[in-house]
Amino acid sequence: MKIWVYVMALLAGIALSIEGAIYGVLGLSIGKLESSFYNFAIGTVIIGVILLFFGKGKLSYTKKAPKWQLSGGILGVIYLTILVYGIPYLGVGLTMISVIVGQMAMSMVIEHKGWLGSAKSTVSKEKILAVILMSVALLLVF
Amino acid sequence: MTILLLVAALIGGILLSAQSSVNGSFSKEAGTFESTFLTFMTGAMFLLIVVLFFGKGDVAAILDAPKWQLSAVWFGVGFLFLTILAVPKIGVIATNISTVVGQLGAGIVIDHFGFFGGAQISFDWQRGLAIVLMLFALRLIYVANKKTNKSRA
Repeated sequence: MKIWVYVMALLAGIALSIEGAIYGVLGLSIGKLESSFYNFAIGTVIIGVILLFFGKGKLSYTKKAPKWQLSGGILGVIYLTILVYGIPYLGVGLTMISVIVGQMAMSMVIEHKGWLGSAKSTVSKEKILAVILMSVALLLVF
Repeated sequence: MTILLLVAALIGGILLSAQSSVNGSFSKEAGTFESTFLTFMTGAMFLLIVVLFFGKGDVAAILDAPKWQLSAVWFGVGFLFLTILAVPKIGVIATNISTVVGQLGAGIVIDHFGFFGGAQISFDWQRGLAIVLMLFALRLIYVANKKTNKSRA
């Protein structure tokens, strides 16, 4: 049974919501952009230490990689900053539902078109129905 | 204002999804920790510039903030770790679905009790129905992906 792996992934989701909730509050005291900056600066230090001891890959690939592959950081920054602005007004539940709808819809577009180096997988009836159900859920909470 | 923030959160989700694809391609060549490190480092660089020019808060106030608020960074790193742990064992789709369930469940519980000093928003039937719909939608995505995987193999 791989049930514990599913539990880990579940915990990962819980961690994401807790992170958003706390940064929402921190943003009100030290400033929103500043909270986002704190996360990335200290996150870099933590991952930097882990990388030093456990990194098995090649960081030097950064120089050879196509430039679009280096855009992960800026995308993450915009995402987290939006969260810090949104959560104090919308609450964690509503913010997370809209994030999830955007996330799922975009993954389908990416997979359908095979963008950003992902394997192509056409959108099916089930997937479209899924996005519709999610949008209804969003409207309900709103 | 609410609608604007809601649309912003949707865009946030879109960017998050693009980010995981971008990082996925990069990590194939460079490694997972390396990819994470690059994401955090370039993120910090961009934000340093933005905070310098547009920051209205006070970075130094971090030293006075309660430690539990600073602990959020561990949840961010923890999210990443658990994801790295889960993906090779159960696949990206199953991992994403379990993550979303945790995200949503925790979000609604945090709102209901007003944990972490945020707004308190009570659980009601609309929120209950929304969870049921979301679970059903995730089940549909899971089924659809199983089908395409079968036809590929």
